[in-house]
Amino acid sequence: MSQISAAGQSHGVGADHPALRSSNISMAPGAGTGLKSAFIGLGVLGLAVVAIGWFKDSTHALASLHVGVITAITICLGATFFVLIFNLVNAGWVSTFKRQYENVMSLLPIVSLLMIPVFVLDYLKGGALFTWMSSAAHGDVILEKKAGFLNPMFFYARSAFYILLWAYITSTLRRLSLEQDRTGDKWLTAKARRTSAWAILVMALSASFAGFDWLMSIDFKFFSTMWGVYFFAGSAYVGTATMILILALLRRAGKMEGAVTSEHFHDLGKLLFSFTVFWAYIAFSQYFLIWYSGIPEETAFFEMRLKGAWPMVGAAVIISHFALPFVIMLFRGIKRNPTTIAFFAIWSIAAHVIDMFWVVRPVVHVANAADPVGWGMIWIDAGAVLGVLGVLGWLIVGKVTSGPLVAVNDPRLGESLDHRNYV
Amino acid sequence: MSSIHPDQVTAQHLAGLSRLPDRGTPAPGTGDGSLIDDPSVRSPLVLNERTFKEVTDIVCGYAENKPGKWWLPALIISGSIATLGGLAILYLVITGIGTWGLNNQVDWAWDITNFVFWIGIGHAGTLISAILCLLKQKWRTAVNRSAEAMTIFAVICAATFPGIHIGRQWMAWFLPPIPNANNIWPNFKSPLLWDVFAISTYGTVSALFWFMGMIPDLATLRDRADMRLRASKSGPTIAPFIPIRVDAVRAYIYGFLSLGWRFSSRHWHRYEAAYLVLAGISTPLVLSVHSIVSFDFATSILPGWHTTIFPPYFVAGAIFGGFAMVLLLLIPARELFPNMKDFITLRHMENMAKIILVTGSMVGFAYTMEFFIAWYSGNEYESHVFKFNRALPTWISDKGAPYWWAYWAMIFCNVLSPQVFWMKKFRTSPTAIFAVSFLVTIGMWFERFVIIVTSLHRAFLPGEWGMFFPTAVDITTFIASCGVFLTLFLIFLKFLPVFAIAELKAVMPQASPHHHHEGHAHGGGDHSKGGHH
Amino acid sequence: MSSKVYTTESGEVVYGIVAEFDTPADVYHAAEQVRDAGYSKWDVHTPFPIHGMEDAMGVKRTILPMIIGVVGLTCAGLGFLMQWWMNGVDYQLTVQGKPFATWQAFVPITFELGILFSAFTAIIGMLFFNRLPQWYHPLLKKDRFLRVSDDRFMICIEAGDSNFDPDRTRALLEGAGGKHIDLVEE
Repeated sequence: MSQISAAGQSHGVGADHPALRSSNISMAPGAGTGLKSAFIGLGVLGLAVVAIGWFKDSTHALASLHVGVITAITICLGATFFVLIFNLVNAGWVSTFKRQYENVMSLLPIVSLLMIPVFVLDYLKGGALFTWMSSAAHGDVILEKKAGFLNPMFFYARSAFYILLWAYITSTLRRLSLEQDRTGDKWLTAKARRTSAWAILVMALSASFAGFDWLMSIDFKFFSTMWGVYFFAGSAYVGTATMILILALLRRAGKMEGAVTSEHFHDLGKLLFSFTVFWAYIAFSQYFLIWYSGIPEETAFFEMRLKGAWPMVGAAVIISHFALPFVIMLFRGIKRNPTTIAFFAIWSIAAHVIDMFWVVRPVVHVANAADPVGWGMIWIDAGAVLGVLGVLGWLIVGKVTSGPLVAVNDPRLGESLDHRNYV
Repeated sequence: MSSIHPDQVTAQHLAGLSRLPDRGTPAPGTGDGSLIDDPSVRSPLVLNERTFKEVTDIVCGYAENKPGKWWLPALIISGSIATLGGLAILYLVITGIGTWGLNNQVDWAWDITNFVFWIGIGHAGTLISAILCLLKQKWRTAVNRSAEAMTIFAVICAATFPGIHIGRQWMAWFLPPIPNANNIWPNFKSPLLWDVFAISTYGTVSALFWFMGMIPDLATLRDRADMRLRASKSGPTIAPFIPIRVDAVRAYIYGFLSLGWRFSSRHWHRYEAAYLVLAGISTPLVLSVHSIVSFDFATSILPGWHTTIFPPYFVAGAIFGGFAMVLLLLIPARELFPNMKDFITLRHMENMAKIILVTGSMVGFAYTMEFFIAWYSGNEYESHVFKFNRALPTWISDKGAPYWWAYWAMIFCNVLSPQVFWMKKFRTSPTAIFAVSFLVTIGMWFERFVIIVTSLHRAFLPGEWGMFFPTAVDITTFIASCGVFLTLFLIFLKFLPVFAIAELKAVMPQASPHHHHEGHAHGGGDHSKGGHH
Repeated sequence: MSSKVYTTESGEVVYGIVAEFDTPADVYHAAEQVRDAGYSKWDVHTPFPIHGMEDAMGVKRTILPMIIGVVGLTCAGLGFLMQWWMNGVDYQLTVQGKPFATWQAFVPITFELGILFSAFTAIIGMLFFNRLPQWYHPLLKKDRFLRVSDDRFMICIEAGDSNFDPDRTRALLEGAGGKHIDLVEE
């Protein structure tokens, strides 16, 4: 009932709408250079730390880098999923800031290329991360059964295939949106919807298999049909968080006044909240079914994460990814205030990093009974994550400042400008 | 997808911008309301430029006027079928579970299949009432009331099956944690007990949600009966020679149920807040219910049952099957009831067809994942289930699955048949939608049958392998549950507000307090922004 | 709060004055005027919730969601304790070699109980704050008022309001565009 208001309440708004005045929706030339430099500085510094780490403990550095790269990819994947969904459901309320989703989406193929250094370093280390490539795994009975899928050639080919697919889909959608900026042709929105229809099928399958390949196969004996959904849930969560952060920063810079309001933050906050819950639902279901059945080949995954201080990390994931944001973000005021919701956006990105850390990193030190987490070299992880996210931030700021902040000819801008949460 | 450029006249008709010739006659909707490609226009939610008064008259008319000639025969037939089920259950209770086709190997089959089938049907109602509410999908207002009713009736059908399956049905009170003379408590670690809590919570919350949504509309029915009572001293009576007016009975019953609702804005404010919270908690509830149902299987170690994707996969399947049932009920209803096409337009049909396509694809995604991971796991029991218990036809290999036809019926109905909805022609054809919905309903029944029976009938020990065949009692009970469902739905159609009247009015363009001041066209705006740069 | 009791010529106690409006827009703007005139005991009756009416009337946000949240989380916690005590302490049952009290297995029922009691709180709380059920109300005796459930929009200002004055209140409603202005008897 809450959604009630007059049907078709949107009405033609032109560039004369006060929120759409040019100074409000475009960055001044040179704007954001400070932030860009800060991000690329962070990126270079972080990656330098990884380089130092490589000489200290190369496997650790590789796994840390993978945590960072996967985080960056999931951010862009999340944005892509939302662009597809918004296109498909004819969403009106997002029109004023869908361009920002598209900005992050368009980085997906570029960021995915960061898998190449991971693959190269992994190859140099003889399969230290993707252990099924290592000589130690040779002749493993289980591995031999799945060798048709887990073999280096097919693996690299699949990865390349995902990235090419994603490049095609994201660039097509991006092109349609930018073309509309120029031509004002409203039918491009319909075209984007049709593209999104098949694209979401392709994305669902390719992202699931990317999740299998890039994360699940690290522990090649482990298998879970839920993994693709788990990967998606994390992506949607962190993608939403990144979007909130971008919009809050733009509002802080005095832009998008009246175009992105508390109403939009409220709904984005609800999305963030609902993906906190959805992720918890998926993560718990996966854990719970494996725990309850207690089949050894599955429980090994969790068993490994019960060694040493890993349960602490697991608890940190539960608390930061679910319990705390769940309770606090229930409050309406938190979601409507750009500052508080931006705080939770950063919080959510951090929580997602811990989640990915929990998934990837045990592979490195778990055999070391004294310190299975590898606390001694946690600085490599910090460096890798901040480094990769620094590069991503640099890319995002570049994209955001490269053109108008709003897709100015979106036929549903009026709905978004009028958007209100009643009740 | 259809062509990009729709005919301008049609577009205007659909947007309600031009007056349509036969408006005001009882003839059902003109302009079909289907979605148009033009992204700057939203199709109207109510066709034929109905006024508030017309909406009230039409919807209340369903409850106040004599039902169509089909109604009573339909009620008698479905009621008789339902009664048959009563007899079957009576026979079961006095004889025992042996009257069913269960056996040592397949010790869980028909009843649990029906249970999961029915509980899944209910999920569409909650999706429409709760999730679409949170997603601000205004079109839900035309279908939510009947879908919620369907949910409750489906839960009633579902709850019957585990209820009668417990063997000693008179011991059912041991299920809830009630202090008892034996000093024992239920086993909270059992998925079956989670079911008890999940289903009873689901039934209760759905009923509360449904009832709360109906309060204002029941008050409308009350006021109309009251107005007629006050306006004239005489009117139809409940039976010849009994001087009790039908309207007096209506005013009393609807009056009692509407709790004295007087359409106060202060009340509306709290009502909407409560409604939103109910929608907010029903959303995780609906996910949890079918997840918990899936736990019945997935917490086991049986290949084909134990797989981690079961919770979301079951939820998607439930919504899929539920929408098919919503469409199976509403497509005939909108033909049989006057003017119903003004509210349930082709746009609504198309939206639901799209949901069928999406959820059907999700189910297909889950089948794919199961199949892939069964192979990827390297566990030969896992791959055995999918290959030799389900997919491989006996006419290809004599090691094949005796139930291959059930598996392929499921694939055909659930994954392939909805794919026709990629084409707008089929998405906007009630006949095609009805046909696909019918197939999907069958397919979703088979899905549960495939999961349950094919996994069990050839498990770890080949010496125990066996088959399952339903008995007459099994079959009668299932058919009768359809009778119960239909009977309840027919009664609902006659006596309760079939549409959420207040919600329908609120999504009409003239409901906005800013409507006149901004000078909208009646019936939806032409948002011709874009394209004129 | 209410100071004076007004009666009609026939001696009936006056409940308030009611005015009728044709459209949501009319009643919305009239409500703004009544709010600005400083009335507190008054109400707008509409066939469906009009959005933004809370603001036009100056109604504060209800605390109901907060109460539902507190009750829901509390009941979920109690539900967990119930299971923990029954299976972990009072009646220990060995199943599948799992510990007697396992938080994991208690999650589903904990969740369901939280939802169940939130739902009860939502609907009972809504009725409680709305003082419903109330099957008798002076307004429901007015024939014209019954049309609110169809397509009329009404404002009723109660005689119990400290600002209430039969003439001034009537004039206010008239000025706001109200039609069929009428006294309502208790």
